[in-house]
Amino acid sequence: MPPTLTQDETLPATGLITPAAADLLICLPAITPDALPAALETIAAAFPNESLLVASSSTNEQKPDSITLIPYPTDRSGLGWILAASDYAAASKLAADHTAATILLLSDAPTPTGAPLLRALADTIRSTRVDLAVPRFHLGPSEGLVTSAILYPLSRALFGVDIRFPLPTEAALSPRMAQRLASTAQRLITLNQGASLLWPVAEAAIGGLSVREVDAAETSPPAPPQEDFNTLFTNVVNSLFADIESKASFWQRARILPTRPVTAPSQPSIEAATVSPDILSTIESFHLAAANLQEIWSLVLPPQSRLALKKLSELPAAAFAMEPNLWARIVYDFALAFHLRTLNRNHLVGAMIPLYLAWVAGHLRTINDDSTTTQPIQQTAAAFEAEKSYFVSRWRWPDRFNP
Amino acid sequence: MGQQITLALRQSIHRIVLVLVSFLPGVLAFLLALIVFTLIGWVISALLRRLLVALRFDERLASREAPNSPAVLADWSPSNSPTLLAARTAFWICVLAGIAVGISAFDASYTSGSEYSFFLLPYVAHLTGAILILLAGGILARFLARSVLIGAVNAQLHYARFLSLGIKWLVLVLAAAMALDHLRIGGGIVELAFGILFGGIVLTLSLAIGLGSRDLVTRSIEKTLDMNPPKPTPISPTEFPTRTDPDPRPKLRHF
Repeated sequence: MPPTLTQDETLPATGLITPAAADLLICLPAITPDALPAALETIAAAFPNESLLVASSSTNEQKPDSITLIPYPTDRSGLGWILAASDYAAASKLAADHTAATILLLSDAPTPTGAPLLRALADTIRSTRVDLAVPRFHLGPSEGLVTSAILYPLSRALFGVDIRFPLPTEAALSPRMAQRLASTAQRLITLNQGASLLWPVAEAAIGGLSVREVDAAETSPPAPPQEDFNTLFTNVVNSLFADIESKASFWQRARILPTRPVTAPSQPSIEAATVSPDILSTIESFHLAAANLQEIWSLVLPPQSRLALKKLSELPAAAFAMEPNLWARIVYDFALAFHLRTLNRNHLVGAMIPLYLAWVAGHLRTINDDSTTTQPIQQTAAAFEAEKSYFVSRWRWPDRFNP
Repeated sequence: MGQQITLALRQSIHRIVLVLVSFLPGVLAFLLALIVFTLIGWVISALLRRLLVALRFDERLASREAPNSPAVLADWSPSNSPTLLAARTAFWICVLAGIAVGISAFDASYTSGSEYSFFLLPYVAHLTGAILILLAGGILARFLARSVLIGAVNAQLHYARFLSLGIKWLVLVLAAAMALDHLRIGGGIVELAFGILFGGIVLTLSLAIGLGSRDLVTRSIEKTLDMNPPKPTPISPTEFPTRTDPDPRPKLRHF
């Protein structure tokens, strides 16, 4: 049962001081008692000469003098490695109680190298009057693939916000942003869905609040502890599609960002291309699905997409690449099928995994080194923007594209 | 002789006509009851559908259900619409009520046939139960077959379709056997046939999975051995294994 925070709720007593007010509130919803001392040291180093309010479910007597620990609701639910709806609700409640002007929400214990990022996130809110600040990580070509393939392009195309990591693991919030997120989270908690993910970038776009990215070149996002990729993918994509469904009235009329010219990355020649075992493995998954899941795909995808997939399945591994426009249409078709409940939603997202792996194979084959990572991702995002009219048309007239 | 034959034929025709005369009103009463209740069901179904559409029943229900819940009501409904499910349920309840009333009317009009309705009414109830068992079995078989197919494909099992078909037929055979048992048709033969079929499917699946998973098990054992390497024993230089480097390829990080 996720925590529902009310005015009368008494938080667990830890024998700590509860201050009346603070400028900066830092919430550590998922920190373990072992990791707390090092995390407090990092926080103190990031904000020297500042009085800080840190909310944690763990307690620690050996804390720096500048830090005041306050209890955090311990009954946390969600995926663990990422911020869930109940985290935003709890942070907003604590911020309101202590009249905090800036809220820093961290899903994992900060490392010493992450101290500058914490500082930069908080300063962005305090000095530039931005409502939401999220980190922009610099990942390698084989990292953050779900974000590159689905989360970022969809967020940019539908909500017009060019934020590279729309599902943040760390976020700095203004009080009004926290309040908005808390009201959305509270609705989910009322429906017993406190463990659901919240999409703060989309919320900010709808609420007309400003969002800014903070460069996080020195740090990397926390890795999910759950090793079952299929479950994780299903949870995240289900949540994203549900969010898109609930915000349909906004994105159908929202203007997209002015399209930036994106040059197509040069495809490695078939002779020169080296096909790594990872790529071969993902292509094999796609081939297996193409042989077995046609019946399910035919419920979701229009004939032209199925034909394109058939052609793709016949390509040799050295020439394997999914066109960005085809990928964009596939994602949009699955989002529509999620809305129409064409089939069970877990089945739907499960049937999408091999298609995502096909995109991954093409993406990895295209990228030769870290320097060329950005270009294909921008090209994919541009394809999602170009195909948005297709999505809107299908959303309004779902049967038009099927014979 | 001829007169006797004519008389026998006349008496036979007379008896048949008498039976028909006493039987037809019952049939007509049955048909009338069925038609009237079907019409009532159609009207109730249409009204219910309009009411639920006006109340946005589907949207309200969808908003109250967790998006990640494994089986929501809409997934079990025709065209994924609980409104349609409610309307059709109301219609078919009325049709079944019409059949029951028709049989009762048949009994009332056909005085000598009370044993027919005494036999027919419970049998219709059994028949309805058997149809419901078959329907539920069909829906469950389709759901499980899809779950297994998608799960097996994502686990990269090459016999995914075979596994899915096996699960589907297991459930269908079970449902068919239950339906026949409910109708009390076949008796011991059905039980025996079901046992043979069910056992056969399970054995086939076990063999298929066992044979198909040899490589998977081998890889799993190798991986376990790699994680817990045995203590090195002194070996001669000529016995060094050919592959000592760890797998150098980078792992994909999806999140």
